[in-house]
Amino acid sequence: MNHTMTLTIQRVEGALIRALGLIERRGFAVTSIDASADEAAQQMELTIEVRSPGRSADVLARQIEKLFDVRSVDLVRTDEPAVQLEESMAC
Amino acid sequence: MKGAELLVKALEQEGIDVVFGYPGGAIMPVYDALLDSPIRHVLARHEQGAVLAADGFARVTGKPGVCMATSGPGATNLVTGIANAFMDSVPIVAITGQVPTPVMGTDAFQEVDIFGITMPIVKHSFLIRRAEDIPRIIGEAFHIATEGRPGPVLVDLPKDVANTMTSVPPIFEMKSPDLGRPDPEQLALACRLLQEAERPVLYAGGGVGIARAVDAFSAYARASRIPVVTTLKGIGAVPTRHADYLGMLGMHGNLAANKAVQASDLLICVGARFDDRATGRLDGFAPGAKVIHMDADPSEISKLRFADAGLLGDLRVSLASLPTELSIEPWRAWCGERKREHAWRYDAPGDGIYVPDMLRRITEADPEVTIACDVGQHQMWVAQHCHFQRPEQHLTSAGLGAMGFGIPAGIGALMGDPDGRVLTVTGDGSIMMNLQELQTIRRYELPLKMLLVDNASLGMVRQWQELFHEERYSEVDLSDNPDFVEVARSFGIEAFRVTRRDQVDAAIERLLDADGAILAHVCIDPKTNVWPLVPPGETNDVMLEGMSA
Repeated sequence: MNHTMTLTIQRVEGALIRALGLIERRGFAVTSIDASADEAAQQMELTIEVRSPGRSADVLARQIEKLFDVRSVDLVRTDEPAVQLEESMAC
Repeated sequence: MKGAELLVKALEQEGIDVVFGYPGGAIMPVYDALLDSPIRHVLARHEQGAVLAADGFARVTGKPGVCMATSGPGATNLVTGIANAFMDSVPIVAITGQVPTPVMGTDAFQEVDIFGITMPIVKHSFLIRRAEDIPRIIGEAFHIATEGRPGPVLVDLPKDVANTMTSVPPIFEMKSPDLGRPDPEQLALACRLLQEAERPVLYAGGGVGIARAVDAFSAYARASRIPVVTTLKGIGAVPTRHADYLGMLGMHGNLAANKAVQASDLLICVGARFDDRATGRLDGFAPGAKVIHMDADPSEISKLRFADAGLLGDLRVSLASLPTELSIEPWRAWCGERKREHAWRYDAPGDGIYVPDMLRRITEADPEVTIACDVGQHQMWVAQHCHFQRPEQHLTSAGLGAMGFGIPAGIGALMGDPDGRVLTVTGDGSIMMNLQELQTIRRYELPLKMLLVDNASLGMVRQWQELFHEERYSEVDLSDNPDFVEVARSFGIEAFRVTRRDQVDAAIERLLDADGAILAHVCIDPKTNVWPLVPPGETNDVMLEGMSA
């Protein structure tokens, strides 16, 4: 399932890779990305399309929101059910 | 003043009086500055020992633990401990030296990108580029490590920045924001769910202790009389002798706890995260239950299990707002029957040492002892059989399961609470992972008690190979272990061996009465298993029961 989210992040060292790394680590695939910098505000606007492995994009948005360099996260489009239970793959 | 001095002053400003670490090239300016500081530096014998000691310190005191290491191998040796703090939400600040900024990115001697390496396992991290940023960054680092759901913060300090002269004052304060109150609509919904429930269970995790909500949780459990189960980290959320406490749930949980959760119609999750070791197969966990989920971390609500009511914010506020007049007597009686039916038994046959009984008796003899656990079978026996009054008495590597945690965590616990009594329970596999820290115990004359449970094998892995790999044993034989009594004595630590059940009483007495560090080497049958056990991939309805419980 595909979702689109927009992020505003502070332009500090590591902020971009931290946000993108979190998305992939939580099992989502980044399928497209568009970035623009706001020099005056020292911020960067990102529009990211992600493909979900069947997990909640809403939870992903809250996980990104916790990052200290992230100023805002908006989930633009989502048509998923509230939560999908996965069979435990843990060992 | 130099950047390094400014850093040390900023640590003093944060109220830090002890740091754990190991010096090296890139962090030498900081170690030079420490010579003129009242901060006590504790020299570990490996950086992993330092970071795990900082973790144990934080768990016992509730204050952030601080560790430091040099660049390159010093920094990479911190990684396991940083991951441990991340998984268990422990506030630590790890300070690493870095090569000078002009050579960063050139593969310089002892250069690694520790900022990049640790990115997935820190709550946040900083690379300091300018000396004048040091007070602000240290202030933010401690704020981030401790606020909300705590966690590790890494601060990487290049050597040239540490040597730069600056006149910035070492003062930067950040006020912790209010954790917030639960949403009134969600709270009303939670109250209604509780009033309607016939079979509620309180499911407490490590968040209860972290949020300083133990008193509020205990008070609610006592007033509502709702049966209580805990995760591994939640143990002590109510005293283990609390009448309605059913024990730990999950893979090695008590049968009564798992049966109650599986039969419940309302699960009140307080500071827990539906970890797979607790839930078993997730789609079969508490299948008939609605869920109230209380947490300080917004990303935990509905992460793995849909929350019918999500109470975000201060657990104490949420708990104090819930109804206590409930009609659940038949359910309490049913849970009480399960508790009696599945009470632990300590009448194991033979004259070999039965470790669960020995552990239980240690905590009966000294109810205030803090236990720092290593990882493996002994860790589960501690969780199942020891008695605790508070969560901070039970230090265990829960999320990461890092063998080697026990001795450094015990060191950190004693540094944080020098008058406390601390027992490390370790295994013959685990102790070898940070054996060098025996010298730290010796160096600082720490009265750490150590119970080494030796089954001459990597017991938990051996148990799984026996049960799930058709007894095909692969690399689990540790029968060529050194003589641990002689090893401990060579570090200048008193040690003795226990091999028979009739020696256990005297061993407990000697262990608890010792004034200084002491190690009891307890030899047990290599075939001993931990029971009960939910096989991996099964629901918590499927619990294998063995001979011993």
